[in-house]
Amino acid sequence: MRKVLVILLMAFVSALLLSACGSQNKNAPAKAVEDYLNALVEKNSDRLTTLSCSDWEDDALLELDSFQAVTTKLDGMACQQSGTDGDTALVLCKGKIIATYNNEDQELDLSVRTYQVVQQNGDWLVCGTR
Amino acid sequence: MGLVQIGASILTALLISVLTRDLWRTYLLLAFSVLAIYWFQPLLPLRSFDFWLPSLSLALVVLTWLITSQSGAWRIRQNIIGFSIIFGLVTLIDLSRYFLPDPIIIATTPPQFIQYFVFTLIIGLIILVVTWISHRSSWTISGAIILLILLLVILKTPELSLKASVFFRALENRQVENASFTDLRWLGFSYIAFRLIHVLRDKQMARLPELSLAEFATYVVFFPSLVAGPIDRAERFAQDLRKDFALTQDETLLAGQRIFLGLFKKFVIADALGLIALNDTLATQVRTTGWMWIIVYAYAFQIYFDFSGYTDIAIGIAQLVGIKLPENFVAPYTKPNLTQFWNNWHMTLTQWFRSYFFNPFNRWMRGFRNITPWIMILIGQVATMLLIGLWHGITFNFILWGLWHGFGLFIQNRWSDFIRTRYPNLGQNTRLQSILQIGGILLTFHFVALGWVFFALSESLLSWQVFRKLFGL
Repeated sequence: MRKVLVILLMAFVSALLLSACGSQNKNAPAKAVEDYLNALVEKNSDRLTTLSCSDWEDDALLELDSFQAVTTKLDGMACQQSGTDGDTALVLCKGKIIATYNNEDQELDLSVRTYQVVQQNGDWLVCGTR
Repeated sequence: MGLVQIGASILTALLISVLTRDLWRTYLLLAFSVLAIYWFQPLLPLRSFDFWLPSLSLALVVLTWLITSQSGAWRIRQNIIGFSIIFGLVTLIDLSRYFLPDPIIIATTPPQFIQYFVFTLIIGLIILVVTWISHRSSWTISGAIILLILLLVILKTPELSLKASVFFRALENRQVENASFTDLRWLGFSYIAFRLIHVLRDKQMARLPELSLAEFATYVVFFPSLVAGPIDRAERFAQDLRKDFALTQDETLLAGQRIFLGLFKKFVIADALGLIALNDTLATQVRTTGWMWIIVYAYAFQIYFDFSGYTDIAIGIAQLVGIKLPENFVAPYTKPNLTQFWNNWHMTLTQWFRSYFFNPFNRWMRGFRNITPWIMILIGQVATMLLIGLWHGITFNFILWGLWHGFGLFIQNRWSDFIRTRYPNLGQNTRLQSILQIGGILLTFHFVALGWVFFALSESLLSWQVFRKLFGL
């Protein structure tokens, strides 16, 4: 029994160390925006709200609602952190959202927006645009 | 369960049965069931709840096993392995946030390890304290049953679910205005809770055999029956697990047929019927009596093919790993009376209610000498059906559905009794018997189909409007 406890303790300590290293991921804010955009075009409101900060939740849902009547897909989307503003990470994206209605495509350029991303409880969340 | 999940379950079942024997089969079944409980859990708007809810299910499983097994059972090697599988996999799923670019088992990124660490510490302490108390007081089992019922009540009552969602959103500093009662969709909890209550009650009645943690946990979260049952019995399930099993060609063929039949019922017939089956929108749009009957019939068949299709898939997959799950549906719409319908519709649920509510409740009522038998039948049947209705959801329409069937069963019981005493030779006239049989089937089917009007719709006013249209009022 003592052996099992020692193994469990060691495993937990290793996991804690691993988690400490893992949380330093520099691409995390950009990844959060990519996930957010994917949830948006998939019209997955549950996922979208878990990727938005409290203040942005309503805006995110509003944005999703605007896509309800059209089919949407991402084209060449790639995001990268461009800088920081205090605790906020700024993320720029390339590519576009293609919204199709009645066989007619409308392209929404993603590069015109800078996404503001903040960290809450270890998770990066989209919290507005500039 | 979607097609991908069903496909993966079939493949896993085949691999387990081909590659493993004896205890290893149990361990692998447990491992995949633990992974499945996370994988099948739908994404929720509450952050990381697709991780927390399955973790809580597993914590409840471990807790129930500890308080129902003999003191010191956790020291046995087999149980340590079982515990390590559960704990190890859950920890691994959480840690996957650090080494996988995207989550693969659960829908969203698992919570921070430190949060998981605190959760494990708190749950672990609770489990230790409750287990310590349970070996000194028999009240712990009653307490566990009450806790499970309480959780069910919260999840099944829209108002309480909404309050819980508001609470959790506030805890996460989220906007509470976006809270919804559907935020807490805890996958398979209705079935998990009923399996746990069955085990706890059997322990109270001293008729529960000793089960290892791996057997127990596999029984409760067995991946083929996690989403839609059937509700097996623990001792029967464990017997199958302990049997020396080798998959034969015949068994593979039979299981394959069953799975194929289930897939056809669910994804072809039920999904096609779903397009014209009764729902809130169609109920308001349909204007003619004829079309209203068509959408009610469509719903009656859709719910049957959907549910029995899932059961076929579950039974077939379980068969591949040597588990013979009980039947849940045996041609219920061809039964000549309501009692027989309920003996063949969602059979494992009705058997559960019969064992743990109807029979004990009737025994208790017999203690009152001034209650006449027919009143006893009325109270027993109405109360049981009411509870079955509430199990589906604590809403007014489910109460009406339960009452519909409760009173229906009572009237049918009295009618059968009356016919039996008044016309004892009725069975000798075969022609009349056939006519009554066909008439009974049609009457029972229509009674059940009309009952679905309460079940399928969210508002009783809407149900009333459908009834009016059905009868041209």
